[in-house]
Amino acid sequence: MDAAGGWAGRFVHPVGIFGLCGAAAVLAAWLVPGFATANNIANVVTQSSALGLVAIGQTFVIVAGLIDLSVGQLLGLSVVLTCALTAGRSGWLIPVALAMVAMGAGVGAAHSWFVNRLRVDSLILTFGTLSVLQGVIFAYTDRSVGRVPPELAWVANERVAGVPIAGLVLLGFALIAHVALTRTRFGVRLFATGGDAESARRAGVGVHGVRLLAFVWSGIGATLGGLLVAGRLGTGYPNAGQGFELDAIVAVVLGGASLAGGRGSIAGTVGAALLLGVISNVLNLLEVSAFVQTFAKGLIVVGAIVLTHARSKPPAATGSRATAPASGRSTLSSRP
Amino acid sequence: MKAAATLNWRSTGERLSRWAIVLVLAALYLLAVALSDAFLEPVYLGNILRQAAPVGIAAIGTTLVMILGCVDLSIGAIISFAAVFCAVLMAGEADNVPLAVGATLVVSTAMGAVNGLLVVFNRSSSFILTLGSALAIYGLTQIFSGGTARGIVAPGFREFFNHRIGDVIPVLALAMLALAAVLETAMRTTRLGRQIYLIGSNVDAARLAGVPVAAVTFVCYAVSGLFAGLGGIAVLARSGVSSTFTGRGFEFDALAAIVLGGTVFSGGRGTIIGTVAGTLVLFMAFNLVNILGFNYNLQLVLKGAIIILASAAYARLGGDR
Repeated sequence: MDAAGGWAGRFVHPVGIFGLCGAAAVLAAWLVPGFATANNIANVVTQSSALGLVAIGQTFVIVAGLIDLSVGQLLGLSVVLTCALTAGRSGWLIPVALAMVAMGAGVGAAHSWFVNRLRVDSLILTFGTLSVLQGVIFAYTDRSVGRVPPELAWVANERVAGVPIAGLVLLGFALIAHVALTRTRFGVRLFATGGDAESARRAGVGVHGVRLLAFVWSGIGATLGGLLVAGRLGTGYPNAGQGFELDAIVAVVLGGASLAGGRGSIAGTVGAALLLGVISNVLNLLEVSAFVQTFAKGLIVVGAIVLTHARSKPPAATGSRATAPASGRSTLSSRP
Repeated sequence: MKAAATLNWRSTGERLSRWAIVLVLAALYLLAVALSDAFLEPVYLGNILRQAAPVGIAAIGTTLVMILGCVDLSIGAIISFAAVFCAVLMAGEADNVPLAVGATLVVSTAMGAVNGLLVVFNRSSSFILTLGSALAIYGLTQIFSGGTARGIVAPGFREFFNHRIGDVIPVLALAMLALAAVLETAMRTTRLGRQIYLIGSNVDAARLAGVPVAAVTFVCYAVSGLFAGLGGIAVLARSGVSSTFTGRGFEFDALAAIVLGGTVFSGGRGTIIGTVAGTLVLFMAFNLVNILGFNYNLQLVLKGAIIILASAAYARLGGDR
């Protein structure tokens, strides 16, 4: 829709979110005792990396103008299955991890089939799969099962020369995702599809294939996040994924993406995931009660969105949209 | 020629999709009767209606927002808040009931109004804004309740709502149907109702035609908040317990009911009657799963499957663009 703003947004916004993240960190270092230690910073990164992975996958879906609410339960399922299947055996880790990633890709592919062929709205579709996956998890187990192999626990918790390994995993995944989003033909087509699916289709973009890949990215991000969460928990807790989907969406939107599609960046998403980590770390250090934390988080989300989105979208720009939402596209657009 | 034929097919499809949920409800009922005699008993049907009331009441209010083409994810949080707030104000005294109910409705309408202001004055999507406000309201509820079940329901309050008129239909179920009838009539006969459909169909055309889009949006969110408050009171009336997370997940149950009822995400289409029927389909399916002896997990899978299949069916019937 606003192509110029979209392109500018892609480059300007990440700076904004990192500025916000940096400002929060500086403020915290100044005001909160115990924040600015190497140990604590590494903790924040370790704690944020699973969310970062999920949010990176979600970025692809949101840029495509879709949404994926199933990632939380998909993460939960991969936590449970990883722990149950490996049962602490190191030799099983690689095959099981690969199977989990394949499972994520499979769920993503199934989503894209429903959206492409049956034209189901992605919000209601993935809410449906959220429910199905939750049912599957609890049909399998209602208590923690299995044990995580020591190698996975090492990846999720430990540091090499002070650098958290989970953070390196996040960085690696983010780099690949960034290249895919900005340097490949798929990336260009993804932005085109999210901006206006019908125009993209007429311009020769294989919209169905683009949506397939977007959902596959999301599924893989969720299952990779699940591996990290499994490593941190040490055992397969069936409720592990609860709420991840909403945090991931918040991170993507704070990172400058528009839920109407066509806009978003990996750097912005990662910055926002870290910002959420810093906020919850600071509130913990200040010994704010969990209740007040929930309240504060809500206010921060609304406040940040009001601030960032009032700026990047001039109120006069109403035209173009609303008349022809292209087929199969989610209508999470800005209204009215 | 071809275009005309397509058009004709589409309008048939639209007519079908408008009443599809009623057919689904009838089919599901026949299936239920075939599987269990319990569904022939009026008292049991009254029970299902009463069970559905909290979600149903909240869902019919949110249907307005959905017809506009927006969403309201904060209703689960408002339901929880309303239940706790109302119970605390009642404090176990029958004299406090009018004040408690009145204050609860005022506060939940105000919460809906804040959502409305956010959506009107911000150009990011209502999805993320109401998601954020839901978090804030859950936080408020937890702070208010201290994280435990608080407040005591006044004597007579539960008894009144659970009383069965003619030993069959509980007052609570009747309240849901009455509220739905009022709102459906309003949507069909008032100018505001027509304006809501117009905005949902084409916001730019509505604006050019002089419809006060901002004001209508604001009113719809306030109504959604009010009905979520009523839903919270209904939860309290049904169970008598007010915990912080009473309403958690209700927003998605309501969303599912609304979509089952034929309201589309792009807005402009949908009815209150459809939403009520959608709610009943959902709860009858849950009851069926229970009565057949399957556990809660299968309910979750079934709920997901129903939602996916129903929206796929609507898309096929031309219910979605």
